[in-house]
Amino acid sequence: MFSRKQNSQASVSTDMLNKQKRYEVLVLALHTDIFRYACWLVKNKTVAEDIVQETFLRAWKSLDSLKDEKAAKSWLITILRRENARRFERKQFDLVDIDDVSIIDDQLSNEVEIEHRELRAVMGSLSEEYREPLMLQIVFGYSGDEIAQQLNLNKNTVMTRLFRARNQVKEALDKANENRGRENG
Amino acid sequence: MDELEFRRTLYADPNCSDERILAAIAEDPKKQAFRKELKQLDKDMDLASQVKVPDDLVHKLLLRQTMQSHRASKVRNRIQLAMAASVAFVVGVSFTMWQQHNLLNIADQAIAHVYMEGNYALEAQNNVSLQQVNAKLAQFGGEFTEELGQVYYANFCDFENVRSLHMVMQGENGKVSVFVIPHDDAHNAESTANGRGYQSQALDLKRASIVVVGEEGANIEGMKQQLKSKIHFSA
Repeated sequence: MFSRKQNSQASVSTDMLNKQKRYEVLVLALHTDIFRYACWLVKNKTVAEDIVQETFLRAWKSLDSLKDEKAAKSWLITILRRENARRFERKQFDLVDIDDVSIIDDQLSNEVEIEHRELRAVMGSLSEEYREPLMLQIVFGYSGDEIAQQLNLNKNTVMTRLFRARNQVKEALDKANENRGRENG
Repeated sequence: MDELEFRRTLYADPNCSDERILAAIAEDPKKQAFRKELKQLDKDMDLASQVKVPDDLVHKLLLRQTMQSHRASKVRNRIQLAMAASVAFVVGVSFTMWQQHNLLNIADQAIAHVYMEGNYALEAQNNVSLQQVNAKLAQFGGEFTEELGQVYYANFCDFENVRSLHMVMQGENGKVSVFVIPHDDAHNAESTANGRGYQSQALDLKRASIVVVGEEGANIEGMKQQLKSKIHFSA
């Protein structure tokens, strides 16, 4: 009786160890992209950090339900989107625009940085239904089919949204260039 | 494929690998430039959307999970401990009760002894002296300090595997059987009983119990008190 108990306890702690390993791999491999995606989803870095923490905590609790490691990315995105939706049930936050968020490319030249700031402002101004599929495509390199599956949408709808998203970005940039040209000229 | 569809498709996915799109691009340098432009836009958006991850985020993510599992295991341990404790408690209580339940009621047992024995001892007519009684009682470390009156019978007997002294004495009304039984853990020393035409009372003393068995209706209380005052145990 005692020896059996010891064995089962040993296997429990081995399981825990395996789970811990899996979790660490998951965090290290995906937290950057997940955080970036969260930032663009909620347009606020602090809130994004909270949501990412909640997401990974929930992921840890139900890690056993993740059978296929390849599905980890979309699994996490699903949890993240659910956490984000939950946030609106609780409380509506005043969001800071993504333009205020400090961004990674500090070392870039001024000119490029200005361009990027402009681009960020444009991307941030897209409505969520356009911004979300676009970020899935850009951050995670998802195909139209994958985005459709993740967002539970028809593929044609997704392609239309992606088209409109880029179209809006392009138009906004062209308009800005025009203005700048006029001012400069 | 017309121009509009081409543009729409590439806008939706600049990296589209549809054969018709690729064929159209191969034919037209303008379309090639268009795709290049869109790919550049994607690259820019990718760069522009980079977000600096807070340095401590990884640690927070790993720490919170560690705390969580630590807390969970602590709660689990507490629950296990509580379960083990209550199981031990229940086992302890029920064992004690079971043991008490199994204590031999010596008053009952004395009646059974007298009844089963029949008249062998009760009809004995020996005249046993105090010295003879005390010689036997000395085995249990006791002696009677005063005369007991008429003692018809005094001998060792087996009282449920305990060697005891069995005496028959003259009581106020009729013969009375008296047992002196050394202490035993399995005995419930303070008890009374009646049945089969007899009644009995047990009395717990320092090193032994005394059980007095008389016929129903006889005054055995008096005999009990008398014995209690006369018997003396060495320390």
